[in-house]
Amino acid sequence: MGFRVGVDVGGTFTDLICVTPTGEIILDKTPTTLDDQSTGVMNGLEQLAGHFGIELDAFCRDLDILVHGTTTADNTMIEMNGAPTGLLVTEGHRDEIELRRCHKEEIWDPNYPGPIPIARRRARIPIPERMNFEGQPLLALDEDAVRRGVQRLKKLGVRSIAVMYLFSFVNPAHERRTREIIREEFPDVEHISLSHEVMPRGPEFERVSTTLVNAYVAPRIATYTQNLQDKLRRAGYLGPLLIMQSTGGVMPPDYVSRRAVTLLASGPTGGVMGATVAARKAGIGDFVAIDMGGTSFDICLVRHGRPEIKTDWNWRYRYYIGLPMVDVQSVGAGGGSIARVRQGALLVGPESAGSTPGPACYGRGGTQPSVTDADAVLGYLPVDGFAGGRMHLDLPAARTAITEHVAKPLGIEITDAAWGIERIVNSNMANATRKVLAGHGADPRDLALIAFGGNGAVHAVAIARELGVARIIVPKAAPAFSALGVLVADYVVDLVRSYVTPLSQVDLGRVRDLLTDLLQEVDKELDPTGVAPADVKRDLFAQMCYPGQNFDMSVPVPEGVALDEPGLLDLAERFHDQHLAERGFCFRSQQPLMRGVRVIARGTTPKPDHLAETGALADASQAQRGTRPAYWGDGFVDTPVFDGARLGEGAAVQGPALIEEPYTVVVLPPDATATLDGLGNYVVSA
Amino acid sequence: MTNVDLVRLAGSRGRISDAPTADLVTAEVIRGGMETVCFEMAEYVSRTATTPILNQSNERNATVLDAQGRLAALSVGIPQFMLTSTLPVRFALEFLGVDEFREGDVFVANDPYHGGGHLPDYNVFAPVFASDAAAPGGRRMVLIASIQCHHGDTGGGVPGGYNITANDIWGEGVRWPVVKVLDRGVERRDVLYALQANNRIPSYIGDLRAQIGSAQLGAQRLGELIERYGVDAMEESVDYMIDYAARRFREEVAQWPDGEYEADSYVDHDPLGNPDIHLHVKVTVAGDELTIDFTGTDTRNELQSWSTFGNTRGYTVGQIAAMMDPEIPKNEGFFEQIKLIVPKGCLLNPEPGKPVSAGTHHPGADVGEVIAKAMQYVLPDRAVPQTYKTGIPTIIVGVDPRTGASFTDHSAEVYSGWCNASKGMDAWGALNASFGNLWKATAEINESLYPHVQWSRDYRTDGGGPGEWRGICGSHYQKEVLVDAKVYTYVVGMKYPMPGICGGSDGSPNEMIIRYGSDDEFKVRHTADWVPIHAGERIMYDYGGGGGWGDPLVRDPQAVLDDVLDEYVSVAGASRDYGVVLEGSLEELTLEVDEVGTHALRERMRAERA
Repeated sequence: MGFRVGVDVGGTFTDLICVTPTGEIILDKTPTTLDDQSTGVMNGLEQLAGHFGIELDAFCRDLDILVHGTTTADNTMIEMNGAPTGLLVTEGHRDEIELRRCHKEEIWDPNYPGPIPIARRRARIPIPERMNFEGQPLLALDEDAVRRGVQRLKKLGVRSIAVMYLFSFVNPAHERRTREIIREEFPDVEHISLSHEVMPRGPEFERVSTTLVNAYVAPRIATYTQNLQDKLRRAGYLGPLLIMQSTGGVMPPDYVSRRAVTLLASGPTGGVMGATVAARKAGIGDFVAIDMGGTSFDICLVRHGRPEIKTDWNWRYRYYIGLPMVDVQSVGAGGGSIARVRQGALLVGPESAGSTPGPACYGRGGTQPSVTDADAVLGYLPVDGFAGGRMHLDLPAARTAITEHVAKPLGIEITDAAWGIERIVNSNMANATRKVLAGHGADPRDLALIAFGGNGAVHAVAIARELGVARIIVPKAAPAFSALGVLVADYVVDLVRSYVTPLSQVDLGRVRDLLTDLLQEVDKELDPTGVAPADVKRDLFAQMCYPGQNFDMSVPVPEGVALDEPGLLDLAERFHDQHLAERGFCFRSQQPLMRGVRVIARGTTPKPDHLAETGALADASQAQRGTRPAYWGDGFVDTPVFDGARLGEGAAVQGPALIEEPYTVVVLPPDATATLDGLGNYVVSA
Repeated sequence: MTNVDLVRLAGSRGRISDAPTADLVTAEVIRGGMETVCFEMAEYVSRTATTPILNQSNERNATVLDAQGRLAALSVGIPQFMLTSTLPVRFALEFLGVDEFREGDVFVANDPYHGGGHLPDYNVFAPVFASDAAAPGGRRMVLIASIQCHHGDTGGGVPGGYNITANDIWGEGVRWPVVKVLDRGVERRDVLYALQANNRIPSYIGDLRAQIGSAQLGAQRLGELIERYGVDAMEESVDYMIDYAARRFREEVAQWPDGEYEADSYVDHDPLGNPDIHLHVKVTVAGDELTIDFTGTDTRNELQSWSTFGNTRGYTVGQIAAMMDPEIPKNEGFFEQIKLIVPKGCLLNPEPGKPVSAGTHHPGADVGEVIAKAMQYVLPDRAVPQTYKTGIPTIIVGVDPRTGASFTDHSAEVYSGWCNASKGMDAWGALNASFGNLWKATAEINESLYPHVQWSRDYRTDGGGPGEWRGICGSHYQKEVLVDAKVYTYVVGMKYPMPGICGGSDGSPNEMIIRYGSDDEFKVRHTADWVPIHAGERIMYDYGGGGGWGDPLVRDPQAVLDDVLDEYVSVAGASRDYGVVLEGSLEELTLEVDEVGTHALRERMRAERA
């Protein structure tokens, strides 16, 4: 067995986790190269090779697998610089994308601008055609209109085309014929997204939004993954490149570039998958994962070892993504969040100093006070030796920023100002967490907290105390946890076929045919990963809802369950039960609709037996580096500082204390205790 | 007849604490905590209610009040509805007395003449108790958690709560000024059964229980917050938040130029066809004081559509909030700064008993329009009317051949209309920002529910009011019904469309035709009172556009060209409305601005104006 590497590209750093042939875990970071992320990835691999004193090509030859979390799709949507995109759409429904079902983000602000269009109205071509809700054509496809429309889009400079016809997920004939015509009229079009393939369900706003985003980002994803693959091949790596999706699974570039939209928000998902593995090893089933980085705070609820999946209300960059995603919610709170006094109120975030200029104490020209500056002023961060010894903190700059922008305007002392920033950002993060839990009806007191990201370890105990959480896990790999997460994630293929009909009228032969098709397609998609068939678990579902509902519920159809008449009655009962359990009510007198069938295939990947290397000292006192004054709410206290790298399994540290890791600090306020387990996690009691 | 003085009920309540207020960080932390509780309450309803209007379209508000009924924090569905939270609670406090508020109690109220908006809006509230050594029994009420939801029915003469020909409030539905549904944690089965028996919809009682659960959750979570920070810190923080909002409000008003600003607006007619319903407002800015006076508004006794004082106040505050810094907290400190004068007996503050189901919308919503018109030259960059010209929804009834059962289609589908431009920004989306929390149904949802086909809702070319900044184009909406059916509705905005602001032109008017394209078209003049429509015939609704902002003759000609390429504006409209001459072909994408011709045409149009 060779090396296995997980890479996660963040806004500032590209994080790497390498599992060596002997099972050792190496964590590394390299600056992200924003113009072409693949350069940073290759730099990181070279750095890793350096760890082992070998050349890049030797390392690549010994590399078994490379798993990648990329923000290319997210960056495309942030910068709105995707491919010039056009839309062919059912006549009469040209403007669904602008109407947005009436939704506007800022209800108090009539001057808040609309989203930047992916396809302006001139590039949205109305096509006469129409299916009814049962998939019967009410109006034939006007093929000449399609041809004229495609010519017009060519003239407009469009490179990527989305097609969204009403009820195409019930009967895709018109969309499929349209693709043939586009290929005839525009052979070198870079990409075509058919709505029934991108999102095989209604309603039309959600589908057109998802399809447009897919068409907009797909060409860039294809270019990027091709580019990275070429570089890896040239460096001698012949194994699979796997990419993290927002469903929590990884798949090869060919699969993901056809579903480019599933890469959105996949970065935070990596961290959640890592947390899931860490929790499973620690015997924890129900927890909330929090990832506090430089600009954002990501939250995900995990129950019974599975991240909650969100099937609706997934907005990303002002567009609706109508596909299931791991329910990771972000708020603007991170180390770089800026504190300011506005009209007499102290606010922290969502504006961020980002990585440039960054917090004032980074000494890169930032003058606004950030959360990291408050952390520094309160004594939590090491002035020397931060970021693996590569970064020195400019404490006077942090003090000046807080004094000028918070303490003076409010007429308070600098320590009170820093403590105020701390309390407000912690309460913002706790409230955001509570809101996510409320969406799932979960009580934080029943959960553990797993904290990671560059700043998760610094704020974990304070957030946990706000939430009433007693048990916290801080992995030693926290600063590169997304990289670890992508490495341990499984292959996931998730395919749906639409078939809309009342349950009583289901044609069982058709259902069996659809499932057979789906299972064959699953095998085809998994083939390039090389995963052994024995390692693949296939779950079949019926997609069901009550008439008029907006969403489908996936009701498991265990293999071996007979799909016959009694089987259908049983399916209806299980749908009612599941609806009651998940949504709090059901209508047993109503006949559910079948909306389609779904297969989720999961190919398991090998998992490392521990998540970080630990030191040798079981007696924490031997790893104490000294003390430094830190503030805990009532004057500065001389606080012991420990060298995390030397702490061994079973080492226990009593707060107040600071445990310094190469890229972060575990902050333990008075009365908190931390014990290092054998897997590489600090188990903290708040 | 009961006669509650709503103006007095809405009056200012004093601060609670004499002590110096909490430190600002604690107050900020508590504010965040309260808003989170509101969010959790609203979310609870979404997860447990069974009716789409509650679990999908977000017609709900959750609020936290102090023990005097002052609004401390909220999570808003629709801004205009937020004020129906406080007045019913205050009525209950006064009518029942504080002693009737006991730990574990939950109350229900819906009556417009006791502080509510209209009858389908049900308010459910629960007191929050905490330990206080000085209080008798060691516990006292500190806060009140309240959740308001719009229900699909409320009894009365017509399903759905819109009986627009009712002579009085009793014909519109059942009135519940206040009833206790949980007494110290124990359900009052008699009361809940009475509520259930007075509603047509079987799921109503389940939805009401979702609200009750939400209020209980709010009470419990707020109790935990109080436990954590203490009663004193909590009350001081409420004072702090309210004082802060009041101070910010006054600072904003102080920046507005002093003066008296007046305007008039009209609603085409009421549902009975009485024409030209008149609203008049005088807005007085004097230093940091803001007075809004509706004296001069219509008082005709024969009118059918009335807006209660609570409803009028809601739309007033909704409009004022849209004209201020969006970050000012919306609490009592904000509301009580507005000195509101609405003479009793005028359309915006009726004598008890007048019907209100149509009037909640018109003249209710038009309050926002008339205030924006009055303030347009004073606050040119914020005067965007937060309103709509819906009349009421289009209600279609018939029998669905697929089920053999009768159906009621409220046409709650998405369409665009009535969104004005603002200074520096063309209008976008479907409706005004205030209604941005709505989430309406679409063809792929409703066509499987009701026998119809939705053929169009596209923007109408030239529908938006021209201006330096353009109003939204209304939708051209066409729905084919697949069975014989009947249509019930009320249409306004034909004679009085959305007004242009600061020299902008009006938006296009509404127009609705039933049996559209047949030999027997029915153009709606004011109401459609169960008008028959046959299978295969269509309903056409051209929804009115939004008004423009500023002089269309100064709009950037390149922006006009862009609008023409995007077919928001026609080539003819470009020259007629904007004085922009275009050369070339739209079809061939070769259009260009004729600079010389444009200059000449604009000069000529200016001369003709003068």
